[in-house]
Amino acid sequence: MLKMTDVKKVFRTDLVETHALRDFNLHVKEGDFVAVTGPSGSGKTTFLNIAGLLETFDGGRFELDGQDVSDLNDKQRSQLRNQKIGFIFQSFNLIPDLNLFDNVDVPLRYRGFNAAERKKRIEHSLDMVGLAQRMKHLPSQLSGGQQQRVAIARALAGEPRFLLADEPTGNLDTQMANSVMDLLKEINANGTTIIMVTHDAALAKQAKRNIYVLDGKVSEVGKSATANHAHLAAVQ
Amino acid sequence: MSKTTAINWEVGPIFRALLRNKVGAVLIAIQIAVTMTIIVNSVFIIVERDQQMQRVSGLDEDNTFYLSSLGFGQNFNAKVSIQDDLNMLRNLPGVVDAMQINAIPISGGGWSMGLQTKPGAEYDGVGTAVYMVDQNVLNTLDVELIAGEKFTPTDIRWREPAQGDWPDKIIITKALATSLFPDDEWQTAVGKTVYINDIEPMTIGGIIDQLQAPWIGWDKVENVMLSPEQMDQDSTRYIIRTEPGRRDDLMPQIEELLANSNKNRIIKGMRSLQETRERSYRSHTALIKILSTIMVILTIVTALGIVGMATFSVNQRKKQIGTRRALGASQGAIVRYFMVENLIISTVGVVVGAMLTLGLNIILVNVFNLDKIDWYYIPIGMVVLWLVGLIAVFAPAKKAANIPPALATRTV
Repeated sequence: MLKMTDVKKVFRTDLVETHALRDFNLHVKEGDFVAVTGPSGSGKTTFLNIAGLLETFDGGRFELDGQDVSDLNDKQRSQLRNQKIGFIFQSFNLIPDLNLFDNVDVPLRYRGFNAAERKKRIEHSLDMVGLAQRMKHLPSQLSGGQQQRVAIARALAGEPRFLLADEPTGNLDTQMANSVMDLLKEINANGTTIIMVTHDAALAKQAKRNIYVLDGKVSEVGKSATANHAHLAAVQ
Repeated sequence: MSKTTAINWEVGPIFRALLRNKVGAVLIAIQIAVTMTIIVNSVFIIVERDQQMQRVSGLDEDNTFYLSSLGFGQNFNAKVSIQDDLNMLRNLPGVVDAMQINAIPISGGGWSMGLQTKPGAEYDGVGTAVYMVDQNVLNTLDVELIAGEKFTPTDIRWREPAQGDWPDKIIITKALATSLFPDDEWQTAVGKTVYINDIEPMTIGGIIDQLQAPWIGWDKVENVMLSPEQMDQDSTRYIIRTEPGRRDDLMPQIEELLANSNKNRIIKGMRSLQETRERSYRSHTALIKILSTIMVILTIVTALGIVGMATFSVNQRKKQIGTRRALGASQGAIVRYFMVENLIISTVGVVVGAMLTLGLNIILVNVFNLDKIDWYYIPIGMVVLWLVGLIAVFAPAKKAANIPPALATRTV
């Protein structure tokens, strides 16, 4: 599903070279729910950006859904992001001037679906997160938890191969965080692979598998307490 | 049925987003509308004035000049002086022809009369400029006789000072023939009788192709009548046509020759037709320059306004653009987004602009007697303003497209 082998990422300025990722190895299988934790500056976000094709990398090999992505141009990467990846951001990143319907519509339009197909998908995914009745509302009229649910609906509407979640509950109170987390677990149970970056250890424990990143490397790998699936163990 | 379409222009969501964020967009739309209003009306005025300037006077303007002779004293005999002067001028090497004339075409000052096709004060006349000329008129003014007969020396009479009647035979322009007899072919005017001073008959002896009146702003500037007479006046004016390229040499020579040939007069007011045209159309030229400058400045200001607004909105929406990129927008899709947004704003602007353009034109027609604008100026103006908008928004849109998708995961 997602396979990184010795992936490197270096940020250069005139004075300093920062190795954000060094020989980063990770293999995520279909249906997995991986939580990536680590301290600030460990390389979590860089990993997420590379995994989500938001950034390029400087060395190693990265296969996404069996496809080597290192030689893709910007347009191809955009297409691949659109088709295969659903993003969930810490601050939701909904477009404030668009109602829920139009927000969920954004990636579907880039996909090139026709109007009827988009409508069907938008209604279905908003229904799935329990917000079908509020399609004409603006994001500002919703609570944080509800906004994140819209973002999840947006991520799911295109039926991506996997979800990339960046601190999905970071801006939410505990109750809302739990409900979002329950939703993610439900989505995963329905077969969507999820990679979640977080520094919340309690949250990470709810995933099937935990990755700990330190100094740009996967330093520690473990199964979370709640996950016990044999096929999850394969790790580089 | 296919589930996909080629390109999604996102017109609906862009429009709905704009409605929630109207102020900047409305201001730019108003600016576009006002700019279009002023530009389209200016262009119309410029084209109209330019067309007026392009009209031909009928004269050989490059090689023609004129001057005045003012006789004085008991010994000055106007008739003798005029005949001597014309003999001398017509025999001078380099001079094509010369003639006494009462007024100069396109100079601003001259005579006008009314001609009517039926005698009697109850009938309205058609206005015409009057040039008093002799048998050399066709050659001197470089006009072509296209029907009837030219003047012969016996046709030419002397008009004494204070004489009020008119010769029996005249030549008129084709335009005047059409004005007098709008229902007939212009050629048929030859031989017909027209009346001057309500009841005095004159026969149309010939028709010339084209000659302009002295007044360039007159709507019947092509209405001209040639009256075969020389004026017995101490103060007179000669018009002189030279061979190509000789005008500038001959002007001072002729001025001196005339001044020396008769000490009882002074020569003054010598001017080329070229200079006369420049002076007469000076206000046209100035207006064209002023309007052109205003147009350029307004267009630049509007374009900069669009650049400013687009740049501001790009900077404000960096996170949103990064998110769109993360969600799968290609760089092209981002450029397209800003282009479409600008097109929507411009479209509102040019539609309002079209109405304002007509409104301003109606005011100009009523207050300043300008012509009604030709309809096609409006769609052309709309397209031009659209293009200005698209060009102006392109750089900010490219800047937006360069915002990295990784910005979406950055917590600001």
